[in-house]
Amino acid sequence: MVRQARSEATRRRIIDSAVALINEIGYPASGLADIIERAELTKGALYYHFESKEAVATAIIEEGMDTILGAFRSSGRSGSPAMENIVHGWFVVADAITADSVAQAACRLLRTFGGFNPAAKAAYGVLEAEFAERVRAAVEQGDLQSNIDADAVVATVLASMLGAELVSSAMTDGRDLRRRFARTLEILLPGIVTEDSIGYYREFLARQSMRILPSS
Amino acid sequence: MTEQADRRADATRQQILQAAAHEFATRPYSQVNLDDIVARADVTKGALYFHFRSKHALANAVIEHRAERGWATVEQLRTNGLSGLETTIDVAYVIAVSDIGEADARAGLNLLEAVGRFDGLQAKVLDVWVNGFAALTRRAIGEGDVVERVDPEQTARLLVSMYLGLRQTSNLDEPESFIRDLESLWMLVLPGFANPEKLGYFAGFIRRRSALAVKNAVPLRANNL
Repeated sequence: MVRQARSEATRRRIIDSAVALINEIGYPASGLADIIERAELTKGALYYHFESKEAVATAIIEEGMDTILGAFRSSGRSGSPAMENIVHGWFVVADAITADSVAQAACRLLRTFGGFNPAAKAAYGVLEAEFAERVRAAVEQGDLQSNIDADAVVATVLASMLGAELVSSAMTDGRDLRRRFARTLEILLPGIVTEDSIGYYREFLARQSMRILPSS
Repeated sequence: MTEQADRRADATRQQILQAAAHEFATRPYSQVNLDDIVARADVTKGALYFHFRSKHALANAVIEHRAERGWATVEQLRTNGLSGLETTIDVAYVIAVSDIGEADARAGLNLLEAVGRFDGLQAKVLDVWVNGFAALTRRAIGEGDVVERVDPEQTARLLVSMYLGLRQTSNLDEPESFIRDLESLWMLVLPGFANPEKLGYFAGFIRRRSALAVKNAVPLRANNL
C-alpha cells in the first residue's frame, strides 16, 4: 500500500515536471534528461513508469483532455436549450484550460502530435462527437437554420475554436482565451442561428463572455 | 450492529421512503394507508415501525429527504456560471419539472402543505427556499439584472408563494398547461423587479425554458405505468 502510494507520487512528479517544461519551452525542446532533473528523480524511476518521452506526452494528453471534456460535459444542462449549452460550454472549457496547467500542456501536445499519436487522435474524436450531439439537439430545437448541415457546423465551429485557442496560446500565453472564444462565436453565430433566435443568442453570448465564474 | 446489517437497514429505510413518496404523491395525506406503503415497499409492518414510529413521522421524513435532494440540485445550478436571475429562473423550471414527474418531489411539496404546517417543518423548509432565492436576487441586483429598489427577501417570498399557489390553481397532471401557467406568471411578475432594459432577453430566456420543460416533463402517472 505504502509502496503503491509512493509509486503514484513518483509518476505524478514526472508528469508535473514534464507539464511545466512543455508549458515553458515546448515539447520538442523538453528532453527526458530535463524532465528527470526537474523532477529530481533517476532515469530508472522515469523508465519504470514510462517507456519513452512520447509515453509521458500521452499520459498528459489523456489527463488534460479528461479535464477539458469533463468541463464540457458538466456545462450541459437538460433544462437549457442546446444552443445555450454550446455557447456556455466553450466558456467553461476556456476557464478549465486557464485554470489547469496539465490541460494547457495537453492542448500544446495535441497540436504537436495531431493524428500521429493515438491518444491525440482519440481526444479530437471524442470532443467532436460530444460537440456534434449538442449541435444536433440545437437543430432539433429549432435554434439553428433549418437547411443547415449539422456536420459542417460541427467542423467549422470546432476548427475555429481550436484555432482561437492556438493563437491565444501563442500570442498571450492563453490570457485572452475567453475574449478570443467570444469574438469567434460572435462572427459564427449569424451564419448558423435562425433569424428569430439571433438577437437572443447575441445577448446570451455577451452576458457569458463578461461573466466571471463563481468559484465552486 | 454489524456494518452489513447497518447497510441493510439503510436500504430498507430507503425502500420505505420511496414507497411512501409514491403514495403521498398520488393521494391526499388522509387517504394514504400504511398497509399500501408496506405492500409497495415489500417490507413487513414491523420493519416500517422500526424506522418510523407513525404515518406522521414518515411524512416528515419524506419532506426532509426531498428538501435535502432539492437543495443539492440548486447548489449544482448555482455554480454553473449563469447570472443570479438566470439561475433563479432555471431553479424554478427544475422544480416544476421534478414536481410534475418525480414522486418524491411531488410528495415532498404535497406534504409540506398537508402536515408540515403544524410542527414548524414547513416554516423551516420554506425559510431555506426564501433565503436561497433572496441570495440569488441580491446577486442579480449586483449584476444589474434586478433593479436596486427591490427588497431581495420580499422578492424571494413572492416567488415561493407564487409557485406554491400555482400548485393549487393549476394541474400538475397536465404538464403542458402547468408549464404554460408557470410561464405566464413569470412574465407577469418579471417587470416588477427586473431591469426594464433586460426584459426582452429574459422573456426569451423564459420562453426557451418553457418549450424545453414541456418536452422534458413526464407526468407522474405515466411514469408509474
